[in-house]
Amino acid sequence: MTTVRVGELRKRFGATVALDGLDLEIGVGVTGLLGPNGAGKTTLLRCLATVLAPDHGRIEAYGLDPADSRQRTALRRRLGYLPQSPGLYPNFSAAALLGYVAVLKEIVDPRQRRTEVHRALEEVGLSDRANVKVRKLSGGMRQRLGVAQALLGHPDLIILDEPTVGLDPEQRMFFRTLISRLGETRTVLLSTHQTEDAGALCERVVVLREGRAVFDGAPRALAQLAEGQVWRSAGPPEGRTMYWRTAEGDYRTLGPQPPDGVAVPPSIEDGYLKLLGPAPAAGTIR
Amino acid sequence: MTWHVDAELLQAYERGSLTPSRVMAVDAHVQACAACRAAVPADTAWLDRTWLAVADTVVTGRPGRAEWLLRRVGLPEHRVRLLAATPALRWSYLAATAAVLALAVATAYTGQSAARTTLVLFLVFAPVLPVLAVATAYGPPADSMHEITSATPMAGPSLVLWRATAVVGPAMGMEMIAAVASPGPGWWAVAWLLPAFLLCVGTLALATVLPLARAAGLLGGTWLLVALAAGSSAPLVQGVLFGPAAQVGYLVAVIAAIAVLTLRRRHLNPGESR
Repeated sequence: MTTVRVGELRKRFGATVALDGLDLEIGVGVTGLLGPNGAGKTTLLRCLATVLAPDHGRIEAYGLDPADSRQRTALRRRLGYLPQSPGLYPNFSAAALLGYVAVLKEIVDPRQRRTEVHRALEEVGLSDRANVKVRKLSGGMRQRLGVAQALLGHPDLIILDEPTVGLDPEQRMFFRTLISRLGETRTVLLSTHQTEDAGALCERVVVLREGRAVFDGAPRALAQLAEGQVWRSAGPPEGRTMYWRTAEGDYRTLGPQPPDGVAVPPSIEDGYLKLLGPAPAAGTIR
Repeated sequence: MTWHVDAELLQAYERGSLTPSRVMAVDAHVQACAACRAAVPADTAWLDRTWLAVADTVVTGRPGRAEWLLRRVGLPEHRVRLLAATPALRWSYLAATAAVLALAVATAYTGQSAARTTLVLFLVFAPVLPVLAVATAYGPPADSMHEITSATPMAGPSLVLWRATAVVGPAMGMEMIAAVASPGPGWWAVAWLLPAFLLCVGTLALATVLPLARAAGLLGGTWLLVALAAGSSAPLVQGVLFGPAAQVGYLVAVIAAIAVLTLRRRHLNPGESR
């Protein structure tokens, strides 16, 4: 079921075009946004989170139009948002910070608010850090607290801008479990640079480049873009192709078959790199 | 497990007719034995409420001094939470303001020729200080969590007005103390009050047309330019800027600004990207 619709969305910052007539429909489940820096991921998320107005185009989420101030407030009641730089107040304790955001989300009744704060802390595994000041939390814990504030008030639309940044593998696994559970009933839209996370978490991936969607489909379909173009070989390939030396000492190539190349199944990263091509200078992931 | 709580013992335990030593024995056993624990009837709702109350006491901690003060004023708890997060109400901001004012007062007591100039400058700058507090009460430059705040239903004009009101009080209070502590004539202590109030209300009224920060810059800047231009002679500052005629003018302008703000409060532009 489609819950969010974006049509002909355009946004410029001076001479830079951040969104260039983007069309997108999103439904319940986890949708991942991939793309190089400057592709428009954050701008799109900020527009959907109602903090940024597009120059042109329309947004409709749960039947509400954020361009109208009343409908915008109504949409904010159904929204949970983790920005790229949450800027959580360092001198607030984890519980006090969530209490503050809960008030901003109109959870005015103290009893209800406290229950909600405890629930959110438990959901991200920070119950035992409730009294710890934000400045004393580790980077990963702060990130979890950022997600916890987004979950206050049981939002229908959850927007997370790079939620897995700075997390160790164990914390990322915890997040994957949490986010996939949320995606069972809510619309979760997240941006990430980790193609691995997108593959593990998202039932749908949208790749943005220069403000446009250049791919929209299942992670497996993204991987298939590089089908028959990923090889392992004993020596490096000739010519200007993307390749790297693996831990096993052989070479993994994305492109034409090297002389002794054996085809291997492509990963999502391969599909992503194939789609976007090599970066102008280095030929590595952007 | 060598023994279990039988029906008779359980009844006595529930009735409260056991001796303390036997109660402790049953308590210890029930904690370790899930089967006996399940047999003890429990009011789940009561347990939940009690647990929540315990967690509240342990987790919430004591409110900060700013929160305590705001609650003493009689504001509802949720409102206090909102205001306590106002950047310009933090101790660092208040301490910096107090330090600047203390320095001004100290200079005024030096008895040198600079002292008189300091007092005139105090009069000129005093009305701008609360405007600075208003301009930084809401929005991205001062509030690191603004991006999160602005995606919530409470974001917008009413939060700006609440925060602006909350910051004007301490700013003007501190200035009042500084003015009274200064060695100037009696009227100096209050002469700046109406212009300060006008600049604050005027900034908010102008913010219904311009972004808040720009409105504050425009009004504060205009005041400083006019005041410093007149500031070449102290009598001129006193007469033109703080004389009786000027004060009446400020009062009329304050009433007009309040009227504009009341009518156009929904259009208040906190300077967000929207």
